[in-house]
Amino acid sequence: MLAEGLRILIAACVCWLNFVTIDVFFGLPKEGGVCGATAIAQEIEKKGGALHGGYMMGNIVSSPDASAGTLLASCAVYAAGIPGGLFTALLVYIGNRICYDPGYAGTTGTITATFIVYGFTQIGFSASDFIAGMVIAILTIQGLSHVHASRLLATLWRWRS
Amino acid sequence: MAVLIALAVVAGIAGYAAARVVLERNTMRRLPFLNVVSFAITGSLMLLLPHPLTIVACAAYFVGSTLESNAIASTWSGGIKKDA
Repeated sequence: MLAEGLRILIAACVCWLNFVTIDVFFGLPKEGGVCGATAIAQEIEKKGGALHGGYMMGNIVSSPDASAGTLLASCAVYAAGIPGGLFTALLVYIGNRICYDPGYAGTTGTITATFIVYGFTQIGFSASDFIAGMVIAILTIQGLSHVHASRLLATLWRWRS
Repeated sequence: MAVLIALAVVAGIAGYAAARVVLERNTMRRLPFLNVVSFAITGSLMLLLPHPLTIVACAAYFVGSTLESNAIASTWSGGIKKDA
């Protein structure tokens, strides 16, 4: 049994990899999905950040993407196991449509996170570790330094394209 | 007891991000910090009320707050540009 603090940090890394991989794979850094996301990206660029990283951060703000899916899947597995996670995928799908987002990053992220979190609960982790871990993971992208986070995301986008 | 550390982490991040929202002067750059606050509140909802129905409350809260950010950002940027 690992200490809870260490488990939360490992969970944060797993959540970070899950949502960044899926968001970049689905092309969120390519362009702003709505005009508000584009405007956020332009403001981040004005401050010295990278435009494509800014697009991804704007898209995360404007619609439930894989990061929201990972958080809601962790919450659902905590309360109701795998069936709860799959039910959440439906809620995220509806949320995407409400927010005028034609993509499937949120739904896909929810389904993969459900199985990842459930798998980790089988080896001594708790789903609550993943709830705290995902909040730490989103803090590193959206809450510490927009300039550095957008440059990192733009670098990952260059590798993919 | 086991949940207390997770709850403390989530609540601490919520307070930090809320302070960044207040300190940031540019409205568009406030929204990513507001997004972190939404994540933290959604997480603490589930940690405080572990019940299957809380899933619906979390999803409703999160999608609602995302839609509000979307609306603020789109309105602030001038709405959909129509080619005249």
